[in-house]
Amino acid sequence: MINLKFKLNGEKVSVKTEAGVRLIDLLRNNFGLTGTKEGCGVGECGACTVLMNKKAVNSCLVLAGQLAGASIETIESLAEGEMLHPLQRNFLEHGAVQCGYCTPGMILSAYALLDENPSPDEEEIKEAIAGNLCRCTGYKQIMDSIKATADELNSKNK
Amino acid sequence: MNNIEITIPKTLQEALELISGGNEGIGIIAGGTDVVAGMRQGSNRFGGINQLVDVNHIKEMKGITGAGGIVTIGAAETFSGIISNKIIRKELPLLAKACGTIGSVQIRNRATIAGNFVNNAPCADTVPVLLAYDSTIEIKSLAGKRELPLAEFLKAPYRTQLNSDEIVTSIKVPLPKGDFKGDFYKLGRRRAVAISRITLALLIEIKESRINRLRIASGAVTPIGTRFNGIEKEFEGKTADEKTLKAIASRLGERVIEVTGLRWSSEYKLPVVQQICYQMLYSAVYGGGK
Repeated sequence: MINLKFKLNGEKVSVKTEAGVRLIDLLRNNFGLTGTKEGCGVGECGACTVLMNKKAVNSCLVLAGQLAGASIETIESLAEGEMLHPLQRNFLEHGAVQCGYCTPGMILSAYALLDENPSPDEEEIKEAIAGNLCRCTGYKQIMDSIKATADELNSKNK
Repeated sequence: MNNIEITIPKTLQEALELISGGNEGIGIIAGGTDVVAGMRQGSNRFGGINQLVDVNHIKEMKGITGAGGIVTIGAAETFSGIISNKIIRKELPLLAKACGTIGSVQIRNRATIAGNFVNNAPCADTVPVLLAYDSTIEIKSLAGKRELPLAEFLKAPYRTQLNSDEIVTSIKVPLPKGDFKGDFYKLGRRRAVAISRITLALLIEIKESRINRLRIASGAVTPIGTRFNGIEKEFEGKTADEKTLKAIASRLGERVIEVTGLRWSSEYKLPVVQQICYQMLYSAVYGGGK
């Protein structure tokens, strides 16, 4: 067992865990953050995407013992109380959520993209979510939601 | 796998002492995109591991620097780090392109360049490019350091010359001197998160309508990433016309079959390898596509 300290959704946390536990299991089992989903477990589907030091990563491929000092953000950190993040609101408004399993990972990939590149073109959006599989929507609505969020955030910042 | 020990050394010295400490079950982890997935799937390549040394925080193994016509890439540099580097985008475009085809953003944010060729899967996407660029790697142990060409380092699928007390610290890529043109090509089942079925890296320099220098390397269609020195020598000095380019492509296909033997997929892969090679040569020599 190790005493692990890292930053989770903006707060300093410490937890006793085995070093070889995967980040996704740590989030779900030790912190009850079940918004992060497990799909393939080998880094192909992106359902488990979280932000590690602001970058999108597959939490099924990061081990607890690698975390020391890292800053992790999960889907639970996006909404402010009852107020959804524009990405979350736009996903709902554009019909980009059907079964919802890919949604947290998809939104975090989009969040990381907009953080780095506030005005992505279509190709850049496709590239950013290429590692997130969705079997329901056909991606069109997801692309629309991300584009709409980028436009919205840009017009606000003008 | 839960109860393995993970150590995060801050210096290379510390890491080398750890791996030389007599624990046979010690392994190195960086991005973990092969190691974690492999351990979970019970791959025998990672069997018996009880301790992992995380090399992500070792300064000597990070960063990209250019000096004296050589670009040195830290072994634990991520693909995202490599793609966003200006020197690499400008001077080593094939490498930037190959790194950009790997996995997904999530994978590229974690996976490292040395992980790609130390793992040495037949489909490792950066290997053909690094071979075409004549890369050498630097390896350190408590006893000292050694440098060797990547082509020598790679032995067989998933096997390299790396000893258990050694760590790859950097890869050195000499900037091609001269007027090389070329490209990297990857064929997978889809464009992202795909295991390569065919990869080709090609550089060609034309002088006075003749092929002055030629470099061809493949991955996925050969057991490990492979440079075709024989073909390169055979065609250097020949007139760079369509007939010669076709002959090169044809020879490459024959050579691939010689290396791998006839397989169920050969009927498909052989003409594709030849056609892609021809198209890449044509674009490099005449510009544009064909």
